[in-house]
Amino acid sequence: MISYKHQLSRFFVRMGLAIFTCVALGPVIWAVVTSLLPLTALTSRPPDLNPLNMTLENYGLVLDSSRGLFSGLINSFIIATFTSAVGLVIGSMAAYALARLNMPGSSLILMMILATQMFPGIVIAIPLFLVMSRMGIVDTHFALILVYLSFTLPIVIWILKAFFESVPMELERAAAVDGAQPLQTFQHIVLPISLPPLFATGVFVFIEAWNEFFFAIILTRINVKTAPIAIAEFSGQYQTLYGQMLASAVLASIPVVFLAIIFRRFILEGFVEGAIKA
Amino acid sequence: MQQISEYNRRRIRMGIWFSAPAVIVLLTVLAYPILASWVLSFLRVYFAGQGLSFRFYGLTNYTELLTNQLFREALLRSIYFTLVEVIVVTFLALTVALLLNHPLGRHAFFRVVLLVPWALAPVANAVLWKWIYNANYGILNQALIGLGIIDRNIIWLGSPVLALNMILLADIWKAVPFIALLLLAGLQNIPSHLYKAARLDGANAWQQFQHVTLPGLKTTLIISIVLQSIWALKVFDLIYVLTKGSPADSTVLLNYLSWRVTFSNLDVGYGAAIANVLFVLMFILSLVYIRALRPRKTKEKVG
Amino acid sequence: MATLELIDITKKFGAVTAVDGFHLKVEDGEFVTLLGPSGCGKSTILNMIAGLEDVTAGAIQINGKTVNALGPFERDVAMVFQNYALYPHMTVEENIGFSLRLRKRPKSEVQEKVQRVAEMLELEKLMQRLPRELSGGQQQRVAIGRAVIREPSIFLFDEPFSNLDAALRIKTRGEIKELHQRLGVTSVFVTHDQEEALSLSDRIAVLQAGRLEQYGSPEEVYLRPATKYVARFIGTPQMDFFSGEFIDKEGLRYKVGEAEIPVPTLTRLPEAAFDAGVRAEFVSLGQKGFDATVRLVQPVGPFTYVTVDWQGGSVTARVNGVSHLKPKEHIKVDIDPQGLLFFDRATSMRIDIL
Repeated sequence: MISYKHQLSRFFVRMGLAIFTCVALGPVIWAVVTSLLPLTALTSRPPDLNPLNMTLENYGLVLDSSRGLFSGLINSFIIATFTSAVGLVIGSMAAYALARLNMPGSSLILMMILATQMFPGIVIAIPLFLVMSRMGIVDTHFALILVYLSFTLPIVIWILKAFFESVPMELERAAAVDGAQPLQTFQHIVLPISLPPLFATGVFVFIEAWNEFFFAIILTRINVKTAPIAIAEFSGQYQTLYGQMLASAVLASIPVVFLAIIFRRFILEGFVEGAIKA
Repeated sequence: MQQISEYNRRRIRMGIWFSAPAVIVLLTVLAYPILASWVLSFLRVYFAGQGLSFRFYGLTNYTELLTNQLFREALLRSIYFTLVEVIVVTFLALTVALLLNHPLGRHAFFRVVLLVPWALAPVANAVLWKWIYNANYGILNQALIGLGIIDRNIIWLGSPVLALNMILLADIWKAVPFIALLLLAGLQNIPSHLYKAARLDGANAWQQFQHVTLPGLKTTLIISIVLQSIWALKVFDLIYVLTKGSPADSTVLLNYLSWRVTFSNLDVGYGAAIANVLFVLMFILSLVYIRALRPRKTKEKVG
Repeated sequence: MATLELIDITKKFGAVTAVDGFHLKVEDGEFVTLLGPSGCGKSTILNMIAGLEDVTAGAIQINGKTVNALGPFERDVAMVFQNYALYPHMTVEENIGFSLRLRKRPKSEVQEKVQRVAEMLELEKLMQRLPRELSGGQQQRVAIGRAVIREPSIFLFDEPFSNLDAALRIKTRGEIKELHQRLGVTSVFVTHDQEEALSLSDRIAVLQAGRLEQYGSPEEVYLRPATKYVARFIGTPQMDFFSGEFIDKEGLRYKVGEAEIPVPTLTRLPEAAFDAGVRAEFVSLGQKGFDATVRLVQPVGPFTYVTVDWQGGSVTARVNGVSHLKPKEHIKVDIDPQGLLFFDRATSMRIDIL
């Protein structure tokens, strides 16, 4: 017999969950709906939400190459992928060194990493912009990837270090006794065991790099505009083209939301452990 | 006379090689700019022809900060923004986390729901809310008029105080999911036998919350408050897309101000000074919170 | 084949000295056990022999050559770890063959050697399994196989049985002994289980807090323990000790309370004070002897260990078969003087009195 009080609390919990879902997903769903409706439907009062009017024309218009979104998506893809790949490679190596290889000065490096989470990007953006414009590398993929590494590397190192420390020491000793050099131990033993956190971290870095806006508007001009920049421009330039404005936002968000959902288990576990350990 | 075995010697050597690339990158892209930013703030930077020239300016940039009304207002607004956001987000996120920790909320679906707002680019979020807040056709006005709560369209981003708070709302909406996830993890780390013991001792739900849940969440709460405050201080994308600081600079926050001063007004030294103030603010915040974390640990060890 | 010598080995972790001035010499083909309780430094010593820990002072010599600076692989040692340390993402076959593949041996050679080792350890049917799909005993055999395939000069075992249940331990013990008899490789085995040490070893090094207490054959450490510590550590059940004194009364006797035990092997009255120790198999219960009250009766199958309280404290007797004694019963306990061992009360060293 479920008591009355129990039933009441279950009711409230269900209500709470329902409200939460509506509030969290509502705006997103509305954005998608908007992007599928022609302008006339949106500007009539009340808005004409007839599903029969739904069309993909906004998307078509928005992907027109003169609008910059398409090249923005490509640039974002390139930059996010490289940031993720490079970050994983050098970050995992550094994380392993800090976790296992008795590095002198390791605690100093760890402090540095912790510190990087606690300051505003603008502090480094200004000097970097000055140096990079002098070197002529503003508005290149390379510049942006390098800068993105500045805030993603610490995260990679932090999360992976915690993971590598949890790999039993015995395993690495066994490898050493079998004749493995540290690099071989890392390659053949440690890395294969670490695929889930490696993946999770890689996806996380990809998402952060893809979504980044601040450094992007400072360090890009014409060539390397990323997707967020394209959306922002859209919302300024074509702001009365509501449907298209939202279509651009939706398009730029699909990849990352998609990734987040697919890899959700990895992300949730990896993150949460990292945060707890911090 | 300690002889280090080849095994350990190799490991130390590899350690240095392994961490070298990351350290080099971080030194170039992080350490150097931070130092440079401090140097810049003591200079006045001129754009002369193709290059830059620097003139030593001493503390003038900083004294200018203190007397500048816009800076003061931006500072106050940033503090207001951060305070309100941290309080509201923590409260809401805790509620969500508790809901998701309940047996009814344990479904994977809800976790997906959480991830969607988190994964959105802040810019996309800004565009979304720009549309919602649209005075003529935005759904907020339409819904409120439809429900009879207001009779005329409100220009949400048109009046000073309102605009700032609408930006706040948009940021809160985006921030709650991640903090909820963090708190959820903290909740799940509280051993269930503590709850059982409390129930045996006769504690009701509210008392259990007070004496088991809250203490168990203390560390996670502190971490989430720290993270939240730092992110709130960094707000930029929303301002850029929604208001660009208007109306009448009433939505200009510190981070945005620093950017505008440097890249629009081209007053690089002054902009660097503002950036450094922001840096110090965050640094102090982090120290305060770290201190708040530490005494608890020693108390645990003694007790 | 190799000889191993540890010369004056010291290991410090910061201010803490884990091992102090340790000496050991292992002959070619010997099976030697480092025996002691947790924290006595035995695993540290093993890791130093392997080259996985640095030596603070002293020299480790294999075949007369000092190997302090060499890594484990160069020392040609193989090790079986306490938790097996099998590579979780590799199959049994890959685990065993790993060291050969690292050296880039031709595939055919690797396959052939792995097959031979698998047959020796009865692992043929499990070759494609992953470690998590194996039982504890099977995992251990894979770990042994990984060591055996190296054909090393020295085998090292770090408490390999501690994760197995009792029955499996005894079975695997036998397998290790057979393996050693078959391969004859110099082996150093670490354990805290004295029964294991006694059954497997050619010689046992008993350790306490980083120092060597005694190094001798199983017979020596059992029958002629060098110190009270060794005497107490070796043997099940534990040796019983009592404090008394030597008196000269119709021959030399050891007096405990009012009880006097004749000690025919003594030739003269010793000057220092001595404690005595005796093992259960030299204590009998019956009609003659000293008054005692039964305290505990513990049957273990072929014997029953009966603990009684008497003037010297409490002592355990070994009775054949099943005993019908009950607690609080009165009985007489007799101690065979042949079984008495005497330990200097001040130094805890055992004295051989002839």
